[in-house]
Amino acid sequence: MVAAVTAFLANARVAGAPSVYGDAELISRSHADPEAFAELFDRYAPMLYRYVSRRLGPEVAEDLVGETFLVAFGKRGKYDLAHPDARPWLFGIVTKLVARHHRSEAARYRALRRSPVDGAVESPADAVAAMVTASAVRPLLAEALAALPRRDRDVLLLVAWGDLSYEEVGQALGIPVGTVRSRLHRARRKVRAALGDTNPLSGDPREEA
Amino acid sequence: MDDLKAIRDLGDDLGHEPPASLVRQRQRLVDAAGGRAPRRRPSGWLLIGVVTAVTAALILVPTVLLRGGGEPGGKKDLNAATAPAKPINVLIIGSDARGGAVREARSDTLVLAHLPADRKRPRLLSLPRDLMVDLPACGRFPARRGQLNLAFTLGGAACTEAAVEKLSGVRVDRTVTIGFAGFKTMVNALGSVQISVPRSVNDPKAGLRLAAGRHRVNGSVALAYVRARHGLGDGSDLDRVKRQQRFMASLAREAKAMRLKSPVRFAAFLKATAGAVEIRPSMDFTTVKRLAETAETDTAVYGTVPVRPDRRDFNRLELAPSAPSVFAQFK
Repeated sequence: MVAAVTAFLANARVAGAPSVYGDAELISRSHADPEAFAELFDRYAPMLYRYVSRRLGPEVAEDLVGETFLVAFGKRGKYDLAHPDARPWLFGIVTKLVARHHRSEAARYRALRRSPVDGAVESPADAVAAMVTASAVRPLLAEALAALPRRDRDVLLLVAWGDLSYEEVGQALGIPVGTVRSRLHRARRKVRAALGDTNPLSGDPREEA
Repeated sequence: MDDLKAIRDLGDDLGHEPPASLVRQRQRLVDAAGGRAPRRRPSGWLLIGVVTAVTAALILVPTVLLRGGGEPGGKKDLNAATAPAKPINVLIIGSDARGGAVREARSDTLVLAHLPADRKRPRLLSLPRDLMVDLPACGRFPARRGQLNLAFTLGGAACTEAAVEKLSGVRVDRTVTIGFAGFKTMVNALGSVQISVPRSVNDPKAGLRLAAGRHRVNGSVALAYVRARHGLGDGSDLDRVKRQQRFMASLAREAKAMRLKSPVRFAAFLKATAGAVEIRPSMDFTTVKRLAETAETDTAVYGTVPVRPDRRDFNRLELAPSAPSVFAQFK
């Protein structure tokens, strides 16, 4: 239904309202017109919700996304307007808030060792083979994620679940890209080891060097 | 198996799509941004909220095209054959309920709204409350002949729906009930609405005193204006219905202007509206989403069902012979 409201408001814009601003413009405008910030919410809240729901589940995700935008609004004065894309900034705030729940996050992954994941039955028939493999590796994967140090897990999941580039992860966490690479490398090595390293060639060879 | 792909697949399985209630978090932000104290809302407001957002978009936002005469029919372009979705009929009930006192409440205003399958030209048809109809049996009340608005007094929205269905032969998919308080809330959420009175009015019964000319009025005055039967026009209910249509057009223009100027404030208006009405039954997500995505709101047509004086009681009204052809457009 958020989509409905969003779509509705989007239609309203088509009808002649102010056109689409860039993220940085919106943040800049929000100093004079605080409600401009709500447009940033419309743009990114669904994406952030999906990300947090993966890490902490839907119950926590909703409130955490709301919290994220409140924090972001409070800190908008510090936003570097040279960055047109606000995603890394928002993901950085999300990551800090997720860290408060690190125990429940680990527990969530560990729970996957036992219970099957919902939605498997909805897979199309031609994906069944893949599902068999996936459900076989899931307990191992979940165990590995639960066991990762938080910093490494943050980097791994920002790449895998947040779809951020290495540079964007660096911006989000305030660390150099080299550190992003080394943390990601370490995390992926552990995950592969947990999966039994069945195919040592499957990873990115440059990272293995 | 590629480890990153395995993790991505796991993420797809673990993730959830944003729920409707995420809008609450948006409101949290807007409240904080506007420096207002956060408000606690009853759970479940959102469900009706979004339905109402859609309803308001379809019914209130269009710059309603006023048709002076009783024949709203004329040209129609429903395109039902080519459209994939189903047409939807909504019965809007303006009641004089105050608080929860439904028992003594009467329906002041009845509008049947038709959203064609292609959502392109919503049609709104006013049904005068003085209309004498054959009321179907409803609840513990037997079938009888009476004024259309008696149905609401007897059995609320459900009986009104049954009465309108029997009268028109049109299937009613949803009822939207709005009371006095809700009406005021809605107007106040817009700020004010412009009305125009041809000559000065003093109707103590309605609590309305206005000089001739244009006024911007708040919720309370607007309510008195749409309810007044004395001092404005010829004092008939039909005249009042026309006044209400003019008011809705004005309200719609106001809402549209706000929608274009400030989508955020407009969203707040929709929310205020959401809290002010009762919708039965609520709509499922897919329906609502499709409505919101496909509705074209600039082409609504407004009319009044054709009526004539009741042959048995000339102070009342009955349907004119041409009424069935008008109702046919709602099927």
